[in-house]
Amino acid sequence: MPDNNILEMRQIEIQFPGVKALDKVDFSLRAGEIHSLLGENGAGKSTLIKCLTGVHHKDGGTIILNGREIQPQSPQNAIELGISTVYQEVNLCPNLTVAENIFVGRQPMKFGQIDWRTINSRARELMRRFHLDIDVSRPLSYYSTAVQQMVSIARAVDIQAKILILDEPTSSLDDNEVKLLFQVMRDLRAEGMGIIFITHFLDQVYAVSDRLTILRNGHLVGTYNIEDISKVELVTQMVGKDMDTIFNLKRVDVDKDAPYVLTASHIGIPGQVEDISINLRKGELMGFAGLLGSGRTETAEMLFGATKTANGEIELNGKKTEIRKPYDALMHGMAFCPEDRKVDGIIGDLSIRENIALAVQARRGFMHPLSRKEQNDLADKYIKALGIATPDAEKKIGELSGGNQQKVILARWMATDPNVLILDEPTRGIDIGAKAEIQRLMLEMCEKGVSVIFISSELDEIIRCSNRIVVMRDREKVAETDGANCTQEKILAIIAEGAQGAGGTKS
Amino acid sequence: MKQRLNLSVLMRSKVTWAVVAEVLILIVCLIVRPDFFSISYQPSTGMLYGNLIDIVNRSSEITIIAMGMTLVIALGGTDLSVGALVAVAGAIALKFLRWDVTVYNTPGDYTVYPFFLVLVVPLLVCIVMGLFNGFLIARWDMQPIIATLILMVCGRGIAQILTNGKQFTTGYSPFRVIGQGSFLFLPMPIIITAVVVILVSLFVRKTAFGTFVESVGINRKASRLSGINAQLIIFIVFALTGFLSGISGLIYSSRIMSNDSNNAGLNFEMDAILAVVIGGTSMTGGKFSLLGTVLGSIIIRTIVTLVYYFGIASEATMAFKAVIIAVVIVLQSEPVRNYFSKRAASRAKLANGGVK
Repeated sequence: MPDNNILEMRQIEIQFPGVKALDKVDFSLRAGEIHSLLGENGAGKSTLIKCLTGVHHKDGGTIILNGREIQPQSPQNAIELGISTVYQEVNLCPNLTVAENIFVGRQPMKFGQIDWRTINSRARELMRRFHLDIDVSRPLSYYSTAVQQMVSIARAVDIQAKILILDEPTSSLDDNEVKLLFQVMRDLRAEGMGIIFITHFLDQVYAVSDRLTILRNGHLVGTYNIEDISKVELVTQMVGKDMDTIFNLKRVDVDKDAPYVLTASHIGIPGQVEDISINLRKGELMGFAGLLGSGRTETAEMLFGATKTANGEIELNGKKTEIRKPYDALMHGMAFCPEDRKVDGIIGDLSIRENIALAVQARRGFMHPLSRKEQNDLADKYIKALGIATPDAEKKIGELSGGNQQKVILARWMATDPNVLILDEPTRGIDIGAKAEIQRLMLEMCEKGVSVIFISSELDEIIRCSNRIVVMRDREKVAETDGANCTQEKILAIIAEGAQGAGGTKS
Repeated sequence: MKQRLNLSVLMRSKVTWAVVAEVLILIVCLIVRPDFFSISYQPSTGMLYGNLIDIVNRSSEITIIAMGMTLVIALGGTDLSVGALVAVAGAIALKFLRWDVTVYNTPGDYTVYPFFLVLVVPLLVCIVMGLFNGFLIARWDMQPIIATLILMVCGRGIAQILTNGKQFTTGYSPFRVIGQGSFLFLPMPIIITAVVVILVSLFVRKTAFGTFVESVGINRKASRLSGINAQLIIFIVFALTGFLSGISGLIYSSRIMSNDSNNAGLNFEMDAILAVVIGGTSMTGGKFSLLGTVLGSIIIRTIVTLVYYFGIASEATMAFKAVIIAVVIVLQSEPVRNYFSKRAASRAKLANGGVK
């Protein structure tokens, strides 16, 4: 391979208070290459990118762009140097038109006035290059996220960027949109641009990149040509453990005569979810499968009292119980990790210690505080047991990575010693190592006799762990099957056709 | 080395800068009046006199209210009704002290109703009004600033109605003690304030109440899903703020031995909010500092005293006060704190030399 590196980062070091975020990392990018940057959350991917875009300043090492050493001072400075970044969240103004968004801040002028004709025609031309024939004079918010993403890329490209960084651009796109994005990436590659691509989706890495670089815990693991590394090797390198140990998780057997802990009969809220009946045995793991919006979350929220149930009854340990608010559920030994942990789970500005102690404290009431020592003990115990990566318990939870935040929320509930644990998408948006860890913890809880309701969009997780699987569709429970002899195809068929399909036993 | 690193942390704290501001203002006061710090003992009243004592004494009403306001702001809200509640408390107290002008038309050392009613009823009414605020906010999900605006606007009207729009005066000496008496050589308001500050601090920090307030203020939904009764917390905080406004109202009316529905507690909500903000609690809610708030309240009063000492024309006092407050807020701003924090950190590094 000719050594036509457009960018070279050598021995980059970045020190954060208490941790070395990057330790002597090398990275290079060739002109006309798509280079994936991989690693778990907290491995240092975004730190490396932010070092390149001037958000963080490096403590050691050199960055060479086109043979000249550079010191990016700020994102603006990086853009001037020819390094453009498109983030996961679209950083544009939704109320401006597409054309305005592309040219804002550098509008072509004519006689001292903004030259709208040129702006619009150039924007149209640019979008056509991206295989999009859209009306550029409409506001950006009129278009889908995918188009908005294209607009931000177009803006980046039009600033005559030499390097384009795409940070998780595909997480909110559907398959066709991803294909379109890849086409654009390939076009740009053909024009000689260097593209750094960050994603959690390994398939996409293989679909589009030429080379990839793996980081782990702030260290460089290696840079590989895409054809030289298999997917299994890749994951093993990312996680630093063998794949087998990760996925050697097996569902826990349940005693067929174990008593029912939670029975819900015909619960529902008219217009939201209707007529849900489940019964959960002690120590059983019940998976909830179904598409987003199929009523899984609504059911979980009803069971926990987060929303008020209008119809039906809930029995706990054989006794009819009214759960009108989360506090009631807590007092009855239930626990609930909500779907959107950033919005509904973490108390961002409080410490890990306070976050862990929160539910236990809520159960005791504020007049019976846990002593500082009890809180410390609780926090230390769970930081250790769950392997929460943090220098100490006083760090704000908002500063942790997604996987670690999820573990803290889980710790908050494990500390209450629940009988019934409801987990809504506990593994979404966290890396593969943390995912496996959460599943392992869940299964351990089952072994100890805790009954778990596990909601997930990833069918393989559900099938791997569940004793029974409830399938939801269109805000109804459409089937309930045994976990042991269930396959993804069966569940997909049920979701697609309703209860008539594929061996589902209608309850 | 450790000390120096701590200096960097200290520089980041807003409370540190509040202290710096207070010291600077006091230095200016000292330059204008070299005898500014002198304190003398007056045997006839059994009280200490001096500017410093006067500053703390006069800041009492705001400090007491600001204790509640700190919690309200930590919840992510504001309570605009506190000033009006001060007027309501005074109106009720005076109504009881001097009921009917036709019967008792000469001021004297008497009360019409039992004294405990004079104290208890205004406080109870203020608690109920606080609960009304809490009800609108917790149950009906109203924005606190809007919900409390209702009582801010109509509270003074209620005070007017209660007193038929009249201004009463009283000479009842036990009532005078609240605002003008002394205890342990100190003016009574200082003692009351100290008790309030200590009790509120104990309640907030020795129970888990403070943590719950912060938790609800940072993320109400997540707090509720963790089993915290967020509505109850909101109710308690607003009721407490109402109660504290009532105490403040009693002190205020005892100072003037009269009710003044138009001027009692005027702009107190603004001063209380300002005290909280200067004290380092963010208006967006979350973490709070009661001690910082006390300091904030004292700073505001020191500024007012400084204005007197400069002999500034009364028309210009507000502008002058505004300028000083602006300086204090700038001192506390993010860039300034970061600048000094970084300097302290780099100096610590230098002092360490090559040793790691």
